[in-house]
Parts: sequence; C-alpha cells; structure tokens
Amino acid sequence: MVDTENDAASEESDEVQYDPDTSRYDIFECADCDNVVLALGRDEPPMSCHNQPMERIRSIDMSVKTPDVKQVLLEAFGLPKAGLDICLCVIGEGPLSANEVAETLGYDRSTVTRYLNKLVELGLLRRSELNREGGGVVNVYHSVDLERMRRETLIGFYVWAGEAAALIEEANVTKQEYLDENPDQDLPEVFWDSFPDD
Amino acid sequence: MESTDAERRETTTVEALASALAADERTLEEHVDALVTCELAHVEADGRIRATITGEELLALDTDEVIIVDPAGRDGRSNA
Repeated sequence: MVDTENDAASEESDEVQYDPDTSRYDIFECADCDNVVLALGRDEPPMSCHNQPMERIRSIDMSVKTPDVKQVLLEAFGLPKAGLDICLCVIGEGPLSANEVAETLGYDRSTVTRYLNKLVELGLLRRSELNREGGGVVNVYHSVDLERMRRETLIGFYVWAGEAAALIEEANVTKQEYLDENPDQDLPEVFWDSFPDD
Repeated sequence: MESTDAERRETTTVEALASALAADERTLEEHVDALVTCELAHVEADGRIRATITGEELLALDTDEVIIVDPAGRDGRSNA
C-alpha cells in the first residue's frame, strides 16, 4: 500500500499547479463562445472576443502533467536530446570541428552531422558551404539571431499546439457524434479508428 | 577581379595578433589552435599564421557566431 501511496504522491507532484496570478502565461475564454486562447506574458488590455474583453481562466479541473523540455522538443520539433546536446555543447565555445563535438559528446560523427542538418531544417542554425583550401568544401554551421530563434521556436510550438488542440477538439466531436448516432452502445474502437496510427 | 586577402596570402604572427587584440599570447595561441583544427587558419613552417581560403570566405560572409565546421566530401555531403 505504501508504494501505491508513493506513486500517487509522485504523480501529484508531477502535476502543473496552475496559478493565474503567478503563471508565466495566461489563458482567456470568451463569455459568449467557446473561444479559448493562450497568451504569453501579461496582456494589457486583455484579449477580446466579440468586442468584449475575454475572461482570464482562474482554475482548471483537469490534472495536467508538467511538460518535460526534452519531450516537448522531441514531440513538437522532432528534435531528440542529441540535437539539444549539440546546441548546448557549442554555444559560446567558438569554432569547433564536427569531430571535436562528436568526441566531447560521445556521439558518432554521423550523428552529429545528422542533427546539425536537423537544426538547420528547424531554422535554429544556418549552414554555409565554403571552399576548402585543399579542395572540396566545408559546411560551416552558425547561429541565427537569438531574437529570431526565440520567435521561430515559439511560433513553431504554437503551430504544433494548435494542431494538438484541433485533434483534441476533433476527438471530442467524434466521441459526441458517435454517441449521438449510437446511443445504446459503448464507445467502440471506431473512436480510435478515426485517428489512425501513422 | 577584386583581390582577396586569401589570394594575397597575408600572414601575421601570434605576437602581432596579441598586440593588436590586447590579448595574452597563450590565450591567442589556444584560439589559433582551434581555428587551425577547423581549417579556418593555417600556420606556416616559419610559424606565421594566415587565414585559409575557408577562413577568408567565412569572414566575407560577415555572419554571426560560427560554431561548427564540418568538412564535406566531394559530393558536398558531410564526411561521417
């Protein structure tokens, strides 16, 4: 029983303790429609909908798990821990060769190159192809403007969050529609069938 | 065609660089070693230093902080 209690306590501590007065973000809802919006930072005057100020949500009923930054980067951007490790390894270190990065992190050289290119795809790094003195070319990866990086990662995440929110809405509608059409049946597999795995 | 520093092959010394940058020679040597490892600088047999063609092209880009240099194969793909 002790383990069960510990598990429950652990799960509880892993939940977001939402406090609108101290949170780093605000969630607003419209009093007239189902519009719910997320805003980072304090927004004065408040968000509006139907030409009326939206109301700040003061409490949440559902328990929400605290996000893990590694999982967020992986889920939203497809960027595994290795990609983040590379970013952290090189920030402020001046020029490093790909071999040095690989040795420092204990990754294969091919892994470093793969994730460097992934970071370029994401817009977190820029790549220039320069001539090599002994022939051939050298790929040089350099940082983008930090303000631009902040903007791009935030917008990128909001796009992902919007897609996730749309899926949740779709799930709610799908469930309701099925229940409306089949009032005498339990929720069947058809619910999940409407969200096929890749 | 405009002549570049790379074509002129201008060289300098650690001492001259240290003086120009108001840095100590030991620190500067470490930076030069890092640049050489990344093929951005070359140390001549007489100890004088020059930027490589790659280093000159990089300077011409006037880019933000350079972080990783990854030599590529003949097909332009990175060597792994």
